[in-house]
Amino acid sequence: MPETLSQLLDDSVLAMPIAAGLIMGALTINVLMLVWAERKVSAWIQRRMGPTEVGPFGLLQTLADMLKLISKQLITPSNVDKPLFHLAPLLAFAPVIAAVALMPFSKSLILVQNDFGLLFVFAFGGIAVIAIFMAGWGSNNKYALLGAIRSVAQSISYEIPLILSALSVVLVVNAMGFTLASGGSIVVANGLDLSHIVMAQDQHGLWFVLVQPIAAIIYFISALAETNRAPFDIPEAESELVAGFHTEYSGMRFSMFFFAEYTNMLIVSMLAVVLFFGGWDGPVLPGPLWFFLKSYMVIFVMMWVRWTFPRLRFDQLMTFCWKVMIPLSILNLLATAFVVAVL
Amino acid sequence: MSYDFAIAAVVTLAGALLAISQANILHAVFGLAISLVGVAGIFFTLNSPFVAIMEVLIYVGGIAVTMIFAVMLSSVTNPQEKENVGRRLMAAVAAGTFFVGGALVLHHAEFADGKELLNSEHSLQAVGVNLLNRYNLAFETLSVVLLLAIVGAIVIVRKEPAMPADAEEEAA
Repeated sequence: MPETLSQLLDDSVLAMPIAAGLIMGALTINVLMLVWAERKVSAWIQRRMGPTEVGPFGLLQTLADMLKLISKQLITPSNVDKPLFHLAPLLAFAPVIAAVALMPFSKSLILVQNDFGLLFVFAFGGIAVIAIFMAGWGSNNKYALLGAIRSVAQSISYEIPLILSALSVVLVVNAMGFTLASGGSIVVANGLDLSHIVMAQDQHGLWFVLVQPIAAIIYFISALAETNRAPFDIPEAESELVAGFHTEYSGMRFSMFFFAEYTNMLIVSMLAVVLFFGGWDGPVLPGPLWFFLKSYMVIFVMMWVRWTFPRLRFDQLMTFCWKVMIPLSILNLLATAFVVAVL
Repeated sequence: MSYDFAIAAVVTLAGALLAISQANILHAVFGLAISLVGVAGIFFTLNSPFVAIMEVLIYVGGIAVTMIFAVMLSSVTNPQEKENVGRRLMAAVAAGTFFVGGALVLHHAEFADGKELLNSEHSLQAVGVNLLNRYNLAFETLSVVLLLAIVGAIVIVRKEPAMPADAEEEAA
């Protein structure tokens, strides 16, 4: 078995703090770069310059923004539901970090190896939903409440096609199986284990986007909705709801929501790479590099979509989910199950 | 007893206490969610990660969220209803009976050796196969119960007193 990083660190008392610190640091840099990238991509699409002043190509702009946010006063409006208001940013922030730890960056670089990694990622997403509720309710603000209700209705609806599309990949992995390089014996593939999904693609030299194209499209659209991004950014539609559930938050608390949002983008992209684009599989370059290259490619497409399509109306969004996405994903799952059972 | 089990147990109990002590219904639901996360933690320390994830995915991500939704949309976070001693007494008796009965059943039940179960491979597959073969009838009955709940909810909502004309138009 490949020695995972968690096994290396297992003996040390410091294992937990070191791992947590590494993840936090990497994620902070990731968010800083993503915000910069989003501003640059949007500028590029709209024939503007984007940030140019701070650092080369404006690279340090978000760092400056972050310093500003840290140094700002934390404002707690007088009529908020205090425990919920204070707890919400933390609760939005924590599960996101936990989900990143489960990702298989390469065959050996996995922070937390788990047989049910795929389900874990979805479960952490469920906790984040509660955080949004807390923020919306605790803020005692009608825009925040409306934003939270929309956001949660959207998340729990789009979670269904998201999970169903991932499930059809799980079926394929279970059916294909693969051999481990060391023993040469055929292992019963466990499609819920994220690294098994990648290994199956690696070994058969076939990315699942080719095997499951419909599932890949459904996954991508649902992922856009899950991360509340345009054209599905109705929960924080600025023209009608100010900023949605985080209207009343400022300073560091606001930036924690921001952090969670951008890290969520990274998580759904990484999961897309694991499920459909062969994970760390790629020529010449080392595995983790391929993994991140592909993830950021998916993120770039997400940004591209955001600055290309107009926002949907809320009823259009829900109709699209329940009348198109869910039936389509169920059909795809049934078809996959049928093919797997017959072959 | 390992200390991670102790942490999970404390979280469970603290959440449960929050759930029954808070006057604000929404706070109580959040307490329940905390308690359920604790239960998931207990399953995790008992080497059943799958059950733990399902606990979080279904109970925290699904049921608790649905409850919060219901509370939010019905706007009765601080009920003004008068305390009814008789009702409370009945509830206490019912809960107490259930607790004592459950405890008795657990006390007299014979459990398979935990270590033996841990070593059996593919226990999850076994659960799935059993669910769809041996216990298929119970499984399907449960889904009918859920369907009834959904239909019932729609019926209850539809029977509400007539809405003002403009609201009805919007609903249609």
